[in-house]
Amino acid sequence: MLRPNMKFVRALLPDREWDRVEAYSIRDVGMGTDAFGTRPQVLGVAYALGYWLHRYYFRVVSQGHENLPASGPGVVVGNHSGVLPFDAILMSADVFRNTEPPRLVRYMVDYFVYKVPFLGTFFRSVGQISGTRANFDGLIREGHLVGIFPEGAAALGKLAVDKYDLLPFSHGHVELAARHGAPVIPFGLVGAEEQQTMVADIKPLARAFRMPYFPVTTTFPWLGPLGLLPRPVRYYIRYGEPLTIDPDVLKSIEVREREVARVREAVAEQIRLGHQHRKDSEEGRV
Amino acid sequence: MSDAANGMGEPVPGSLRAGKRRVFIAGARRRVAVHIIERLLAEPDVEAILAVDRGACPPALLGCDPERFVFASADLSRRRQVDNLFLLDRFRSTPFDTVLHMAFAGSPHGYNFKSHEFNVNTAQHLLQAALRHGVGKYIFLSSDAVYRLGPRGDYKVREDSELNLDPTGHPILRDTLDAEFICRAKMDEPGSEIMVLRPSGVFGGGVISGINLLFESNPPMLPVGFDPMVNPTTKERLARDLILAIFLHGKGVYNVAGQTVGPLSKFLEERGIKPMRVPGPALKLFNRAQRALGMTRYHAGFHPSRLYYSLVLDDDKFERVFRSSAHKVRALARTSDGPMP
Repeated sequence: MLRPNMKFVRALLPDREWDRVEAYSIRDVGMGTDAFGTRPQVLGVAYALGYWLHRYYFRVVSQGHENLPASGPGVVVGNHSGVLPFDAILMSADVFRNTEPPRLVRYMVDYFVYKVPFLGTFFRSVGQISGTRANFDGLIREGHLVGIFPEGAAALGKLAVDKYDLLPFSHGHVELAARHGAPVIPFGLVGAEEQQTMVADIKPLARAFRMPYFPVTTTFPWLGPLGLLPRPVRYYIRYGEPLTIDPDVLKSIEVREREVARVREAVAEQIRLGHQHRKDSEEGRV
Repeated sequence: MSDAANGMGEPVPGSLRAGKRRVFIAGARRRVAVHIIERLLAEPDVEAILAVDRGACPPALLGCDPERFVFASADLSRRRQVDNLFLLDRFRSTPFDTVLHMAFAGSPHGYNFKSHEFNVNTAQHLLQAALRHGVGKYIFLSSDAVYRLGPRGDYKVREDSELNLDPTGHPILRDTLDAEFICRAKMDEPGSEIMVLRPSGVFGGGVISGINLLFESNPPMLPVGFDPMVNPTTKERLARDLILAIFLHGKGVYNVAGQTVGPLSKFLEERGIKPMRVPGPALKLFNRAQRALGMTRYHAGFHPSRLYYSLVLDDDKFERVFRSSAHKVRALARTSDGPMP
C-alpha cells in the first residue's frame, strides 16, 4: 500500500548512509516483510527523514554507542519529552547511524496509533509495533533492540517547569528484561525539553479527544498546526552501560521496585552527564 | 504402526494412531470436505467414510467406491438423526473411530435463529454421540474469527490469545465460540481425543471463507489507510492438516495457518487483483451496494475489524506436534507434496 519512490529516497541520502539502509536485513517471511510487518523500502524513507532531522535540524551529539550490543536482544530505556515524540525518532536514527551493522530500535508503541489510517500502517512498516507482552517477547526472541519509555506517553506533556524531572517508571520493562535475560541499556536525552515550551495541559480537552494530554505551548494553538513544529535545538544523547536485571524481580515486588529505581537512577545519571556535555559544548570546552 | 504411550498411559501427541480409519465427516458439501474426502479415499489406511450433510451428495463424490464411501443426508441438529447415523448397519459392527465436524452454518447471508440452533445443537449432539459410541477422535473445524481483533493486537496470535467475547459481535461468532466451548468442556474425557482446529482464512476455488470471498469480489473493497498482516492457508494445505489430525494422536486447541505471512495488499497484488480503497466509515455501505449488484459475496459486517487489524495465526504448536510427524502418515508421505517442512 505504501509504495515509496526509491530513486527519490536514494537521492535524499549520502552514499554511506544509503549503504547502511541496504545493509539492514530483515528475515523475510514470504511477502517482503518480516514477521512484524517491517518493509525495507518504507524503512529507507523513514531513515531518510530521520537522518535529515538528526544531521541538520537537531544536529545530534551522541556518546556511548559502545554500550549498545552489536547483536542480540536488548532493552533501551530512557526519558521521554517534547510534546511530539521527536526524541524517539532521533534516538532510533542515532542508533541506526552509529551501530555496525546498523540496528533498528523497535519501540513499544501506544495502541491508538494503530487506529489511525496510514499512521498505523506506516509505524508497522518501519518495525514499530503495539506495546503488548507477546510483541515484546517476539522482538526479544528474534534478537531485536526494543525501545521503551517507562514514563509513558504522558511524559511528552510535561510542563516546562518540570523539565528533566523524571516521572515514575512503570515496572514492565524490568520484568520483561529479566524474563528474557536481556540487558537494559539506559539512555539520557537532553534537548527535547527545549524544543517546545509547554505552559499548560488542558485535561478536559485531552479527555474529549482521548489523548494523554492537550498541549498549550508558547506557539500552539496560537499558530495552528505550525505551532507544533519543534525549535531546532541541539540534542545530546548518552547511552549508559548495560544493566543486568536481577532475575528475582519475577519473584519479589521489593526486588522489582529496587531494580526499577536502579534503571531510573541510571537514566537520570545519563541526563546529568548530557547536561554537563551540553554546558561544556556551549562554553567551548569540547 | 503402534501407539506410543507416555507414563500416564495416554498416547504421545504426534504418534500414529493404530489400525485403519473409519471416518464420519459432518458438513460434507463444503469444498474443503470434498477435497479431504477425495484424498482420504485415495489412502488404503482409510477403511470407510460416512459423509453427512443436508441436501444431495456433491457431484464430485458421486463416482466414489460405494464399498468405502457412503453419503447420507441428515439434519444433524436433530439428536435422533445423529444417533441413527452412528447405528447404521454398515457401521454397527465396526464403528467410527474419527468424527470430523465441519457442519456449520457460517454464512452471514440469511442467518437466523434456525442457523443458530443448527450450529449449537449439531456441535452438542455430534460430540455426545461420538463420546457415547466410543469414537477415539473428534475434530471440530472452528475459525480464526474467534480471536479478538484490534489495535492492541499481537504480531502472532497464539491459541491462548484473547477471544472475541463481545456480546455485540455477529451471532455466527458466538455460535462458533459456543461450539468450541462445548468441545473444550469435554476435552479431558478419557478414551477420546477432542481437537479444535482454528484455520486462518482459506483460499481455493469455490471455498466459502471470508478471505476467499473478498478475493473473488469484483473489485475487493478495502478501507483507506489500513493494510493488515495475514497468513491465509489454502484448501489443499488445510486438507493436509486435517489428514494429520485424523491420523495422529493429539488433542486440544490448535491454530492452522499458511506458511506465508504478509500484508493483505501483497496477497492481492500477487494474484493480480487491484482492490478499491474506500473510506473506512463508508465500507459497509459500499459492501452492501456491491452485494446488491452481485459484485461480491463478501460480508463486511460479519467481522468488521478484519480489514483493519492484523491477524496472523501462530501455528507453531500444530507444526511441532503434527506437521513434524507427517512422515508417519502414509497418505502424506506418498503424495507429491510430501511431508511438510
